[in-house]
Amino acid sequence: MNNTTLLPSRSRSGRAVRRRPGVGKSVSVALLVLGAIGMIAPFLWMFTTSLRDAGHAYDLPPQWLPTEWDWSNYAGAVTGPVPILRNMFNSAVIAIAVSIGMIITAPMAGYAFAKLEFPGRNSIFVGLLSSLMVPAQVTIIPLFLLMRTFGLLDNPLSLILPGITGALGVFLLRQFFLGLPQEIIDAARMDGATAWQTYRLIALPLAKNAVSTLGVITFLGSWNAYFAPSIFLNSTDTATLPLGLVLMLGPYGAGNVAQVMGATTIAIAPALIVFLVAQRWIIASLTQSAVKG
Amino acid sequence: MTLTAHKTALPPAPPSGRGGRRPGRIGTARRREALTGYLFTAPTVIGFLVFILGPLVAALYLSLTKYNILTAPKFVGFDNYARMFRDERLAITYGNTVLYVGAAVVLINGFALLFAVLINQRLPRALTYVFRSAYFFPYLVALVYVSIIWQALFQKDTGILNYYITALGGERIDWLNSSEFSKVSVIIVDTWRNVGFAMLIFVAALQEVPKDMVEAARMDGASEWQVFRRIVLPMISQATFFNITITIIGAFQIYESIIVLTRGGPGDASRSVVMYIAEVAFNKFDMGYASAIAVTLFLIIMLVTMVQFRLRKSWVNNE
Repeated sequence: MNNTTLLPSRSRSGRAVRRRPGVGKSVSVALLVLGAIGMIAPFLWMFTTSLRDAGHAYDLPPQWLPTEWDWSNYAGAVTGPVPILRNMFNSAVIAIAVSIGMIITAPMAGYAFAKLEFPGRNSIFVGLLSSLMVPAQVTIIPLFLLMRTFGLLDNPLSLILPGITGALGVFLLRQFFLGLPQEIIDAARMDGATAWQTYRLIALPLAKNAVSTLGVITFLGSWNAYFAPSIFLNSTDTATLPLGLVLMLGPYGAGNVAQVMGATTIAIAPALIVFLVAQRWIIASLTQSAVKG
Repeated sequence: MTLTAHKTALPPAPPSGRGGRRPGRIGTARRREALTGYLFTAPTVIGFLVFILGPLVAALYLSLTKYNILTAPKFVGFDNYARMFRDERLAITYGNTVLYVGAAVVLINGFALLFAVLINQRLPRALTYVFRSAYFFPYLVALVYVSIIWQALFQKDTGILNYYITALGGERIDWLNSSEFSKVSVIIVDTWRNVGFAMLIFVAALQEVPKDMVEAARMDGASEWQVFRRIVLPMISQATFFNITITIIGAFQIYESIIVLTRGGPGDASRSVVMYIAEVAFNKFDMGYASAIAVTLFLIIMLVTMVQFRLRKSWVNNE
């Protein structure tokens, strides 16, 4: 272990190394293709099934590519007994509110922990970080009682209020602001900017990418959440989309599978959009902390 | 935006070492900065106190009481904790959960490392991109949604999996309703969804392994396996520990995939401890006992995280 660190870490420019090419590489490509098919096939089946007549949804052998483009399952899904559109709206309201709250509170706190000096700064930060260790299952019972006391059960606020702050976002943004040269901050202060102006006009605009990443991650996390919503919300009108879909699926998968797959396709759309637009920086920010320590 | 940030970026200053950097500052300015600091952190700190620390303390207290919501909590000492040792259902659900954790650690990280090593070869850029995307996508989709898809694939008579199994001459498997295979189904979905994320972590770590070091070892006649075992694996240990910790913590909290796939059944055959907590708390309203179980889960997760931090420290010299 130690001897590896003694070696100077050189740039990895040494290209063109002769190794038996061909066989090894094609085997690994074949394995990777196989794995990739396994990852994508369920989604393909979902989409294809959503376009088929419900009566033929389970026809075997399975069709992997759409044979017909029948969108009636989507219409059926949104007009069925479970108010899927309403649920989607609920999910969107909660996810947007939580994301907006998070991208306001987390950068402010992250900036303060990185660039401002105040007594107790480090111990407060460590305390906040330790909250990452607390699993949701431990706090859910007291939170349920709290929401019940304040009449917030079955109310989107029960999910929004606990969601608008969080240690992970503070940590990410603190990391970013630590890398910001102190001179920039000092120069602004010299020119007479208040602490708020320095933050709002100088520091925050520089953190645009980090803030966007945080916003997207927060949105998806909220959009995908199931555990807390399943406990705080208990009517079909307040339910979020994941709850609505589970309702629609029915016990033991008894629901209309073609319609369920249509609704699931809609539900997955935001993840797909995020994936297409922001994959690169999400991957970068997610992997960074793990590898760099 | 990134450009400016990069151009001017300096190595981050150590968080604490800036104490006397500004001599001659007058007291009011300092006090004002401190006030700003408190104001900026106030929303986060309040959120932390109200929604995390407060509930955590409340859970610890509730775990020492008998509480059914209707009447006030009654202090019973460690009765709830003693009761856990006699609870057969808890033993079963913890047993299932430990199985899920073990399977997650081995399967997710095993497959992730395999795919990461394969991807990390000099493949055409577009191919690498396609593979990375395909493996990562399920991770972005809610676990509920992928479970909904998989429960259709797992159906005994109409599911695709059994269609291919019988087409290859095998027997139909009762994926969702047999006590063995219900667990297997949960493990399959968990592995399938999380392998991509772990793989990305491994790929990022593999790219940091100095290529010339690997080449030098090959030059000296080391076999591929020796290179992997002696050089690559130690160099990516940080990522390995990170991945193992994340998979352990995640698998201890496994919940909604089971709700969708098997509802914990048959019986308790695939039920996880979190499902059991939710049932005791919100169906039976035995809040004290449910809190006690939740506290044990918290202690286990904390222990795992602390071990991770310990181990991480011994790898700091890697950088």
